[in-house]
Amino acid sequence: MASAYSGRFNPWPATVFVILAVLAVLFLLPTAGVLLSSIKTTRDIALGDLWSIPPSLHLGNFTEVLGNPAVHGYFLNTILVTLPATAGSIALGSLAGYVFAKMPFRGSNLLFLIVVAGMFFPPQVILVPLFRLFNTLGLIDTLYPVIIVHMALGIPICTLLMRNFFATVPTALRETAIMEGANEWQILTKIILPLSLPALAVLAVLQFTWIWNDFLWPLIFTQSDNKRTIMIGIVNLKGQYSVAWGVQGALSLVASLPTLFVFLFFQRYFIKGMTMGAVKG
Amino acid sequence: MARVVLENVVKTYGSVRAVNDVSFTVEDGEFVALVGPSGCGKTTTLNLIAGLIPISGGDIHIGDRLVNDLDPKDRDIAMVFQNYALYPNKTVFKNLAFPLQMRKMPKAEIAAKVNEAARVLDIERLLQRKPRELSGGQQQRVALGRALVRDPRAFLMDEPLSNLDAKLRVQMRTELKRFHQELGATVIYVTHDQLEAVTMADKMAVMSGGNLQQYDSPKRVFDHPVNMFVAGFVGSPAMSLIPLQLDNVAGTLSLKSEAGWSLPLSEANAAKARNTSSRNVVLGARHSTVRLHTQAQAGAIPGVTYTVEPTGDVTFVQIDLGGAIVIVSLDPNIEIRADQPVWLEFDQERIHLFDGETERALRAS
Repeated sequence: MASAYSGRFNPWPATVFVILAVLAVLFLLPTAGVLLSSIKTTRDIALGDLWSIPPSLHLGNFTEVLGNPAVHGYFLNTILVTLPATAGSIALGSLAGYVFAKMPFRGSNLLFLIVVAGMFFPPQVILVPLFRLFNTLGLIDTLYPVIIVHMALGIPICTLLMRNFFATVPTALRETAIMEGANEWQILTKIILPLSLPALAVLAVLQFTWIWNDFLWPLIFTQSDNKRTIMIGIVNLKGQYSVAWGVQGALSLVASLPTLFVFLFFQRYFIKGMTMGAVKG
Repeated sequence: MARVVLENVVKTYGSVRAVNDVSFTVEDGEFVALVGPSGCGKTTTLNLIAGLIPISGGDIHIGDRLVNDLDPKDRDIAMVFQNYALYPNKTVFKNLAFPLQMRKMPKAEIAAKVNEAARVLDIERLLQRKPRELSGGQQQRVALGRALVRDPRAFLMDEPLSNLDAKLRVQMRTELKRFHQELGATVIYVTHDQLEAVTMADKMAVMSGGNLQQYDSPKRVFDHPVNMFVAGFVGSPAMSLIPLQLDNVAGTLSLKSEAGWSLPLSEANAAKARNTSSRNVVLGARHSTVRLHTQAQAGAIPGVTYTVEPTGDVTFVQIDLGGAIVIVSLDPNIEIRADQPVWLEFDQERIHLFDGETERALRAS
């Protein structure tokens, strides 16, 4: 029946599919390796290579990780950093974005550019000054500098995204609310922000993932083991004389679950936010 | 409800005068249309009354209060925007309740007021819906309701019908008029559509270039436009304006065209024409005041038909009078085609004369 098939073979969809499939495998391989390591005993890891299938399912690494009080501390510290820094940067970005979008003043465009330009500073440039600053303030080896720095570094992207989203909210809504007696704070919190859930969800996912996974700032600003966050905790678990690959693999998986949950929770809004403005209305 | 008085109101942006020395009074319960082409300053004027932008000069009174420096919320006026500006995330009930919540009104009182407004506007069964689930007409009613619950001293409306399709627009025009009549509300209504202004308003303020050109009843504006701008803007199709030369032959005044024809003026029109020092006079004639003959007539001016536009009820014919185009409306049953010689007769009682230099209407002093 080949003759009935009149369309010529188009190689492009197939090519794109193959490329995407290869990329997906490349990205997933390390995760698969970590997953495999996490369910092997140290002996199995030492005997086989990374990709060998373990003879039996070994959950000891997970029980060891989840029962370790130090790991509980790492999790708690990470939550103590991530939640306030995420909420804080989004809140500050929303406030700044609202002003830039709806209450322009002389020089506000320049100021907006300066704020957004903050994104382009590599952390290495500000690392030493920040360390000296927080050292002078006596905040080294606490979680505060990590929270403050993450909050500050999040302001440019949050301001950019919120300003652009607020700009799409009709000005007439704000003017109506003003006529009806609302002040700017009420307009932002009761009218504009409830309309901005897609943008807020995008930022929540971005900021949460970024701060949760960060290694650099907690490494610089904290020293004691009981102040470390989860990403440094993974390294700390390696042991003094041997590398506990299995345990590290187990913790890596456990540590990535919160970001996964956050993404799944906000996914509905996230996709809407990514296509924001792509279609009319 | 209250009267609204504008006295020499000015709004400048840098060196641009967006609103230039505008004065008019909207009496209590009157429906006034601010009308003019895009950029004429009508929406700016409305925003000045609302207090959304600060005034640069002059005074605005609402009721017996000078409101120049009052915040919008303290002016006690409601505004209906072009796109209705309903809060998309709130139900109709909450949209109506919002202005009352902002005034910290007790919940029971809010519910009573909202239900009353919903009853007046016949939107009771829509109260639990979100704005996106409403038709354009329903959205407009909700927007009116949100204005109504506040018992404002005046309603300001910024082109509330321009987002609707043609059929719905006519229907909502009728509803707005009923709304105004039943409530006896003071309404200031901005539109670029002179037909909306003529059909709905008690008075119309025709604006152009930031200046108020004429403020009068639609009938007076239609019958006695003060200048060529108003004459050309109000009425559809627009009034035909023909630039001519004033000619005095032995005391008899007539208007001469460059094409060679001339129109002797009646005594009343001659009296008007004597009031100008300019030789350039513009003759204005509405389509319904010009008679068309298909045969030569004594005193009628010869021309050639240019286009014929049948609309069903009436046929509009554009006629070339040697360079100047005149629009005439005809009974649709009259057979006429393009490029046909015709003769026009102007009704001297109903023509308008304008000074060719100042563009002002000539009046018998």
